[in-house]
Amino acid sequence: MRNITVYLFLFLVSVAHAQTSMSSTEAHALKTKVKERAAITKTISSDFIQYKHLDFLNNDIETSGKLIFKTPDLVKWEYMKPFKYSVLFKDDKLYINDEGKKSDINIGSNRLFKQLNTLIINSVKGDMFNAAEFSIEYFKKDNYSLVYFSPKDKKFSKYIKAFHITFNSEGDVIEVKMIESSEDYTKIVFSNKFLNKPLEDALFTP
Amino acid sequence: MRYLLLSFCLFFLACGSFPKKQHFKIENTSKTSIHNPYFSNKTIDYIYKANIDVYKKSFSGILIIKKIDNQHHRIVFTTEMGNKLFDFSFIKGEFNVNFIIDEMNKSILINILKKDFKVLITEQLKINDTYTLDKTNVFESEIDKKKHFFFIANNQLNKIIRIRNGKEKVVFLFTQINDTIANNIQILHYNIKLNIKLKSI
Repeated sequence: MRNITVYLFLFLVSVAHAQTSMSSTEAHALKTKVKERAAITKTISSDFIQYKHLDFLNNDIETSGKLIFKTPDLVKWEYMKPFKYSVLFKDDKLYINDEGKKSDINIGSNRLFKQLNTLIINSVKGDMFNAAEFSIEYFKKDNYSLVYFSPKDKKFSKYIKAFHITFNSEGDVIEVKMIESSEDYTKIVFSNKFLNKPLEDALFTP
Repeated sequence: MRYLLLSFCLFFLACGSFPKKQHFKIENTSKTSIHNPYFSNKTIDYIYKANIDVYKKSFSGILIIKKIDNQHHRIVFTTEMGNKLFDFSFIKGEFNVNFIIDEMNKSILINILKKDFKVLITEQLKINDTYTLDKTNVFESEIDKKKHFFFIANNQLNKIIRIRNGKEKVVFLFTQINDTIANNIQILHYNIKLNIKLKSI
């Protein structure tokens, strides 16, 4: 009898935390909210923690830093722990500063990089609702919305099978999870996020 | 005639074995094997910030080495942003490429990486000859039928050299050693422009 009670309790706990599919009305409302928010977003600045999960490791590899974004297409990821490394997407180029060693990659000619860049910008804003490029599924969990974007392009899905983006009730992105075909993933959790705080162009230097 | 003799002498000196050229002193020891401890603990995730320079190309990222079981290692290289660049495994001496990006998918490069990583993860080595050089013990062994010299000072493995035709081909340097973790590792190739730098994070 006690066993049954335990199972019942566990079942209720799992139901309480399980994610459920959204109705089409709910999905439409979320999409509208995120798109409206993305349209008025001129800048984003946020702290982030990145967790690299590989199934054979004891612990995820944790790195952290700051992200800044400015419309239309300036993005800088600055890793500060446990090493200093930054990537700046600017004018179709990728500028890297690896503990002081600077290099750049021309991404204009690389379709995959270009696609990745657009995806990064859109995922930071949350606006990836492009049905031609992704199969999209909507879920809700507690007060959060969870959207699965699976790339339709076969060449791209070889690298990333799906993006799982978590939004808070305001329609802000709080977590991005990129899942590889092997099921290993990279999870980025945002915190101290500010929208439309003035960001000087000078901050977007390599 | 004197010049001819001199050139003969120089010729033989140049062709002399690696230990001779390096002035190693031969040593008699009862030791039959040595142990490379650096990637031998199953409970540790070995994580390094890595730079791989190949000719004019440079790849930076995170190198992960994990001993999954006895005779089973997994070696994964990702970018700082988390994208996998390659994923290799060694299972009972057999090498597998689980994944590699097109840009790095060149058999020459894969072969070199395979040989280098095999040296890093091979734990038990049979000693063929023993030498000393100052306060360092030098052990000659073989990995894949290639001569390797292991330099051990103060009970720490600090260098491995792969030899071909009596010359240094690849040098592995282990520095900032903390117990059984080498916090800095450099793999320097003398016959091609390929260098790997690893810094524990």
